Amino acid sequence: MSQSEISWLSWFFSITVWKERFLGLQKRITDLPDNLRIATLTSWRDKERGLAVFAGVFLASLVITLVLIYGVGLSQAFLEESIEQTVFDSKIEFKSAPEPGASGWTNDTAVLQQMCDEVVIRNEFNDCTLVLGKSGLHSEISWGNDAAFYASPLFMDSIDSSDQDKKWDTKDLWNYEYTTGPPVVNVRAISFLGPEAFDGVLAERLSENIIYEMGEWKTHEEVNNERGIYIPLDIASAAGAEVGDNLDTLTFTYTYERSLPGAMEDEDCPGEIIEGEEYRLMYCQVKMSIENVTILGIYEPWPQGNPVLAANPIYSTWTLLSEEQQITLIDKDHVYLGITVDRSLLPTASISAAETWLDEISNDMQKQTYDNGNVKIFYVDIISGTILWLEFVLGFVQVFDYILMIPVVILSLYLLIYGLELSLEQRRREISIHRSIGATADKLKGMVLFELFIISSAAWVGGYILAFFAVPIILSSVGFMQFESLDININPVLSIGATFFTILATLGLALLFGRSRTQKFLEMEIDEGVKKTAQSGKPRTWLHVIMLFIGTLGAIDTYQELSTGGTGIISNWFLGGLINIFGPFMLWIGGALLLSRLGAYGPKIMLFFFKRTPLLSDVKRGLQNTGSSESTTRLSLIMLLTLSIVTLAAVQGYTGSLVDERTADLQIGSDIKIYSTEPMTSAEIEEAVLNISSKDITVNALTVPMISLESEDGTDANAYVLMNGSENILKWFPQAIPGKDISDAINGYEGGGFSAGPDMAFSLDLEGSGRFGDSSDILYKENDKESEVMNFTWEKTEIVLTNIDPNSTMTPDEAFEYYTNLMDRDWSSIDLSNQDLSNRNFSRTDFSNTNLSGVNFANSNLNESLFFNVNLREANFTGASLTNTIFVVTSDNIANLDFTDANLSGSFSFYPVNLTSPNFEGATCPDGSIQNESNNCETGFSESPTPLLFPVYFPASFEVQITSYQTSMRYIGIHEFIPGVATNEMNNYLIINEQGYRNLVGDKEVNNLTATTWIVDVDGLDNDELQVLALLIAADSKFEGADDWETTHENVERNGGIIFGTQGLFTLQYLVASAAAIASAFVFLSLVLNQKKKELAILQAIGASPGQIIRLVLFEILSIVFFSMILGIILGMGLSLAFNGFFNIFGFLFQLFSGTGEEAVISRILQWPWWVITQVTLGVMTVVVIALVFTTRRALRADLAVVLKGE
Amino acid sequence: MPEELFEHTTGQGKQENDSDEEIEALKFTEKMMDDKIDKDAILQAIALYHVYSSTAEDGNVVALRGLNVSVKKGEAVAIVGPSGSGKSTLLKCLGVLMKPSAGGVILNGKSTTRRTGLELVRMRQETVSFIFQEGNLLPDLSAIDNVAQALRHKDIRPSEAKRKAMDILVELGLEDRVNSMPATLSGGEQQRVAIARALVTNPKLILADEPTGALDPITSREVLELFGKLHAEKGVAFLIVTHSDEVAAFCDRSLELRDGRFVAEHGTNLDVDDLEGTRELIVDELGTVSFPPEVLMKMGGSGRYEIAHNEKGEVTLVTAEKNKSMIKGKKVLASQCPACNHKYKDDSQLCPECGSSRPMVNES
Repeated sequence: MSQSEISWLSWFFSITVWKERFLGLQKRITDLPDNLRIATLTSWRDKERGLAVFAGVFLASLVITLVLIYGVGLSQAFLEESIEQTVFDSKIEFKSAPEPGASGWTNDTAVLQQMCDEVVIRNEFNDCTLVLGKSGLHSEISWGNDAAFYASPLFMDSIDSSDQDKKWDTKDLWNYEYTTGPPVVNVRAISFLGPEAFDGVLAERLSENIIYEMGEWKTHEEVNNERGIYIPLDIASAAGAEVGDNLDTLTFTYTYERSLPGAMEDEDCPGEIIEGEEYRLMYCQVKMSIENVTILGIYEPWPQGNPVLAANPIYSTWTLLSEEQQITLIDKDHVYLGITVDRSLLPTASISAAETWLDEISNDMQKQTYDNGNVKIFYVDIISGTILWLEFVLGFVQVFDYILMIPVVILSLYLLIYGLELSLEQRRREISIHRSIGATADKLKGMVLFELFIISSAAWVGGYILAFFAVPIILSSVGFMQFESLDININPVLSIGATFFTILATLGLALLFGRSRTQKFLEMEIDEGVKKTAQSGKPRTWLHVIMLFIGTLGAIDTYQELSTGGTGIISNWFLGGLINIFGPFMLWIGGALLLSRLGAYGPKIMLFFFKRTPLLSDVKRGLQNTGSSESTTRLSLIMLLTLSIVTLAAVQGYTGSLVDERTADLQIGSDIKIYSTEPMTSAEIEEAVLNISSKDITVNALTVPMISLESEDGTDANAYVLMNGSENILKWFPQAIPGKDISDAINGYEGGGFSAGPDMAFSLDLEGSGRFGDSSDILYKENDKESEVMNFTWEKTEIVLTNIDPNSTMTPDEAFEYYTNLMDRDWSSIDLSNQDLSNRNFSRTDFSNTNLSGVNFANSNLNESLFFNVNLREANFTGASLTNTIFVVTSDNIANLDFTDANLSGSFSFYPVNLTSPNFEGATCPDGSIQNESNNCETGFSESPTPLLFPVYFPASFEVQITSYQTSMRYIGIHEFIPGVATNEMNNYLIINEQGYRNLVGDKEVNNLTATTWIVDVDGLDNDELQVLALLIAADSKFEGADDWETTHENVERNGGIIFGTQGLFTLQYLVASAAAIASAFVFLSLVLNQKKKELAILQAIGASPGQIIRLVLFEILSIVFFSMILGIILGMGLSLAFNGFFNIFGFLFQLFSGTGEEAVISRILQWPWWVITQVTLGVMTVVVIALVFTTRRALRADLAVVLKGE
Repeated sequence: MPEELFEHTTGQGKQENDSDEEIEALKFTEKMMDDKIDKDAILQAIALYHVYSSTAEDGNVVALRGLNVSVKKGEAVAIVGPSGSGKSTLLKCLGVLMKPSAGGVILNGKSTTRRTGLELVRMRQETVSFIFQEGNLLPDLSAIDNVAQALRHKDIRPSEAKRKAMDILVELGLEDRVNSMPATLSGGEQQRVAIARALVTNPKLILADEPTGALDPITSREVLELFGKLHAEKGVAFLIVTHSDEVAAFCDRSLELRDGRFVAEHGTNLDVDDLEGTRELIVDELGTVSFPPEVLMKMGGSGRYEIAHNEKGEVTLVTAEKNKSMIKGKKVLASQCPACNHKYKDDSQLCPECGSSRPMVNES
């Protein structure tokens, strides 16, 4: 042990030292009230001095607390949204599956209901009911736990109705694909709920989804008496069912037994044996029926969530079942208690806190037994399974949010440090007085820090409390600065740890900075004797320049990407990504530090312009020396920082919300997009919608047909047709059309113009494609040289009959009619190009003369349909069933057809078709063989007629006849898309006008235009009513579905776009930075002016008039502020550009993780909300002027002698 | 370590790691200093030098040039001299608020060299109080808090500090204004509060910088009466920097400071306007003598002199012959005041009308 250690130890253990310490502590405590009083009084009386510190800590506290609470609020919103539509939060089932004489089992419903009553007594639960439905898991759902997958629900089998209009016999009506969890059997389920589900919490939750005007969730007595069932919207729509429909019989199946494949023989099973689709068991399903039921309501199906229970079942009550039926179902394990958790007790600080809470309940519940220990239970938690994935997504979102708020936090810390220095500067005199009356350095430091502590504490509390009020408002912002009432009930609470963190990050930092600054300051002050010339740290200009350079590189890169749509100047994606993430911050810090020096020269620069004006003729001398002092540089820096954040938030917030709105515009096109079951005309659509709506509305429907054209030089060009009236119906925006003005562009189309997507323009050698380096978005006028007039040809392909057999009993027409009469549906002569018709039943459909190019028929049933003279180019038949179809097509029209895994056995053609072009991978060829490499279905279509056709002899042969129609149109520029139309191929399409279309296909065809997809503009409804209308339309049997703008926009905002909650955060950033700009302008101005007091007094003393002085100060400070603000806005614009790349990166990552993966079509073209920025700028300038006039006048009123003499 | 803050004040703390030789040298000077301690003196300054380093073009500024001063216990000493002569620097050095570049200060018989900052503060608290021209009150504290603050710095309990402060304020006739803020007090009241603050710690020496400078004649007379009472009753020593005859007259003796040197001493009958008449020149131990400019001017300006006569108590200087021709153009006192155009009728140094000092001009 060294000498010093020993002495140190002896010091440490010396009694006197400890005694001294104790006495010191005791003294501190007894003196505390007085010290507190003095510090509080001093900081209150010298408010101005402490204001900057207060502002800094307040801002930091506000922002940090806000971001933390925002995270809590966000997780609450996420949590509530994700469990919003969960009916049962958990379930209780028997501990083990039934076996003869199983212990812990009862089939007495009274005992089970008694259990329910006992469960609800517990605090955590608020409702419980006995359900007959899905069979028990008897274990938790987890990876590799097969037991979870064996549980099957009660499957719907059939509904018999005497009403012939209803289509309960629709094929595959009860098919339902389980996208989450194990697809035991993909059949719709039925659940029989107990009486408790029709009142209280459960009734509340279940009734929420009942569609407006489509019945209601009634009391149990009513449901029992009326023998009610509730069905989901998709079933109602497919079956054409309505509320009040009486159904004769409802049949479902229960699992009688299940076993390993092959272990069960037919004779073991009183019902039907089915095999689980992907799993290893076979199930013996036995039917059970209830008679005479009535549909009491139709509910909106919700997205599938947790696989523990069957999704979107038919609901009824088990009191409709006979006692014997009930006992059978319980005996076969189709029983559980559905429980709701009191969600108000769910900890909301974080998802993991909620999970822990749920786990505790779960563990506790597992120990419970009922019926005097006779019944042992297994508790299955449904919520925590639902929220499991949230933790990950939310963590990711929060990281993004935290990064986004870094600038504001840095800003507030900067305010704090600068404020500290200024306030110390102002204590110079006071400190020397204290020294003269005998204060030690320790005491002085203690005093300053204690005062700082008081100010910072008050600031922290203020910011902390304000944050709690602000978060719910900010969370509810849909879009930038648009606040809506939030459906979700946010109750933000910060954990003690998080609160402690905010204290540490604000108060702690303030004291830490305060300590070091005070120490330094006192050293300088006290050491007056050999006054060191203050070694002001030399700014590391080279570092700032490098930062600025890298940041600018990122901004330019993004700009390049935006303007050319290419890769930008940095082609290495890793380097590009790094620069995109770090560039913005480098640009911000480096730019602000460098530009602030420029900003401080504002007066000089302004002087250059105003030198000769009478305004400054007499004071220009006084301005010669401004711009070099540190305080003006700092003022400039603060203005720069705040304004750049304001600009960034406004630009990105505004851009973001516009992008979201436009994404919705793009998806829907107008108010509602309707998909009809059968092709309809616009008049039919409008009438149908008017009939559905009970409100007084006007409806305009529009469809966008497609046509295949050929240019003069032989280039194939597909074109969308813009029908007249699209200007008013579709939600246009400038990105879509050539040029910036929408009505100009529409007039251009209507005046005989066409536009081309960039790729198509490239193929056709048109200007604007980027081929000539001219990617500009310009609407070409009639006389522009770029505006070429082009001729387009449309070939009408007809198949005509030749060699008509004169001896036949049937004319060819009659033979055709005979066959078409055998069809169930008529989809002839319509344009279905690019429609999504997957997973549908089209068996026996007449598609003669229909345009099916690009159609998606994946997994559809097309058995025995007729494809007569159809265009099938690029159509997708993946997995479709096409047995015994008839194809009468030209080889041309089956180019790039995709028959992967399709079943074509028995497909017939009247004459040889070259089948080398389509893709047949894994398909069943027409001759029944499976495609392989040596046999690519080249044998062609079958030559033996289909069974359906068999009795008919065709008295003719066919020949393809092509008629060409021509029209000429003028090129008006490059388009990007049509709102509401699938956009993935728009680059390679033309858009032509209605007149051109009429010239080609003829008026008759156009006047009777039918389609299955319609974009509808509805007037006279607000957003909520629109959502209801869309639901009503979707429920109508005429329509497959309907999407409305409002729902789509909400979805885009919530899940799509960039990230949940980003708009709110931008709003927050904008508001905080604006407030900071205004507040810091006020606070720092008065401080800067205080420093200038002496200078002003001297000016006055040497004869300057008050007017001159005010003019001088106003000009000097205003030009600094103004100049810095302009620089700040410019910096903010650069930042917005740089952050765009950052958003792209995060957007990309988010899509990757959340699996949305859809290509964002709306480019993030920055919107410059000049008005919003001007407002803030004007606000700051006004405050500055007021503050200036106020402070300058006060300075002028002050006693000259005192000011001049004072230190 | 809080003391580190004050290390520079003494300059000693940092010397510990230096070579033994240097420490020996310091001990030597300290011993020399100890030898000079006068038990009767409350304050002694020995060979004070102070230099302000400056980066300005004209280089460093020498404020004090080897001053020696001694104030006896209970004695009142005035320091007079034109502005810029180093009075404030001297006061700060004597009050140990500042460390002189060289020389030592002995406070109440204790040398202030080789002391930590904390020790210095303690010494100051025991011995010295300051009074400034304007009250120099803490603007954010009420009168009583201002006074109590001095005691609080001495770690006296708040209640006791307040009681003592109250007592002294009452004694000074300020009982009605104890809770007033400094801004609401008149100049005289402020000064009285400042005096109360200076007295509350029971100092043995009060260092005052123009204590009556900002006061009207009646108030300043009151303040002086107060000083006199303290001086007489409590035996407090005073060192007062002043321009005022009355203040100077209150003191036992006056020292005249010019360009960082004491050039003369005056008796109790000092008339600031006519320093010459009462002047006694000071020759310090090093044999340095500084002539006040007007004396120098009368002698014929700077240059070489021959000792014509030298006996105990008497020296006669005569201008050296070869130097006479070197003097180009004689400097004389200006005939009229540049500030107020007052025509001087005599050789007085200060303008009787505006009080500005009389410049020297070339003889026309």
